[in-house]
Amino acid sequence: MKLAPLSGIEAVAFLLIIAETYLFFNFVVPVGSIPHSPIDYTGLALLKLALILALVAVWFVVMIGLTRVYVRAKVRNAPRPSS
Amino acid sequence: MGLVEVGLLLLSFVVPLSAVLIGLPPFLRFLTRKGWTSSDAHKSTQTKVPEPAGPMLFVAALAGEFVAAVGFSSVVPVAVILGAGVAFAIGLADDLYVLGGKTKPLLLLLAGVAFVSLVVIVPDLYQPVITFPILGDTASHFTIYTALAVVAFPVVSNAFNMMDAFNGEISWFTLLTSLALLAGISLHAAFASGFSLARVGAVLPLVAVTTGFLLFNRYPSKAFDGDSGSLMFGAMFAGLALTGGVEIAAIIAIVPAILNSFYTLSSVRGFVERRRMQSRPTYMGSDGLLYPSTEAGAPNTLVRLVLLAGALSEKDLVKSLMYLTLVACLFSVAISVLTWAI
Repeated sequence: MKLAPLSGIEAVAFLLIIAETYLFFNFVVPVGSIPHSPIDYTGLALLKLALILALVAVWFVVMIGLTRVYVRAKVRNAPRPSS
Repeated sequence: MGLVEVGLLLLSFVVPLSAVLIGLPPFLRFLTRKGWTSSDAHKSTQTKVPEPAGPMLFVAALAGEFVAAVGFSSVVPVAVILGAGVAFAIGLADDLYVLGGKTKPLLLLLAGVAFVSLVVIVPDLYQPVITFPILGDTASHFTIYTALAVVAFPVVSNAFNMMDAFNGEISWFTLLTSLALLAGISLHAAFASGFSLARVGAVLPLVAVTTGFLLFNRYPSKAFDGDSGSLMFGAMFAGLALTGGVEIAAIIAIVPAILNSFYTLSSVRGFVERRRMQSRPTYMGSDGLLYPSTEAGAPNTLVRLVLLAGALSEKDLVKSLMYLTLVACLFSVAISVLTWAI
């Protein structure tokens, strides 16, 4: 039971990985293949890069946020040697 | 599946397992004689353990992949051991000379390059698509998939390397995750048409080597694998996940290692060789238990997060870490079932 919060963080981590990988391969990577796209090649590359960074940033922010909440809740009662 | 295939799969498991069980004891005596030992950091009394056992583990894995390659007439096991061999060589250099925190991941890109270069000879070495549970396949994206495959080697190898801090941690971790990988690839082979059994045969040496090594590495350890062993395990895992087409299930299985790397890299802000970390995430109390550091600047490793819930002995700490790994592996198997069997 002590590890339930960490298992929860783990579950959020892999659900986000699945969702973001799906978004990456199905929506970000094919962006350039849209016919008659008004955006030029460089613009498309920058747009893709921005979208990739956004996906990575979402994962980082969620993980850091969850970990901070966990550490804050636990660190006050952190175990210390009795002597 | 015929009797010959069953026999070949059995051989791919038995040969590397026997190589570890027979070859490792004399190799450990050799290491001890030469003075190649390391201090077991989490013991109250000074204990020396032979290190690195990686070379013997690599020889055993090589023997297993050789059996799979010849038996199934496939290049897949060759590609897997080629990537693993490059990672092993980099790890051995690190064991002998200590490479920098940034040098190691950069050099490990070579393992990925060696692996993907074989696609020139074998175009179907990996399929550049990702298969999602229920949702099915993505379109084929060769360039981006190949680039990500190259990057996967340093990422996964380093993640395995960072899970190598306590007695039995790396062997239990690799065994559990490779079993999840084996389940995924077996389901893929059983339910997808035209999927070669060689890809299943290529996983068995990793399972066999870690099973054998566990007997020496479990608490109290009689052998440490060194970076040569842990980087090789990671590179093998990456190569097998790519050739087996089970990328999603593989990532899920190693989430504890990914989180551990993420926590460490984000809290020390970059690649820092662990021997040069300024403050430690944990410390050992006079009672022999491990405690989390409460310093403000202490790195947030997965171990520290586990210990924040309560001080633990080294043995119980590894049990807790393996509980988290088991949860991830069960999810991984569930993902494989949803992907291939339903």
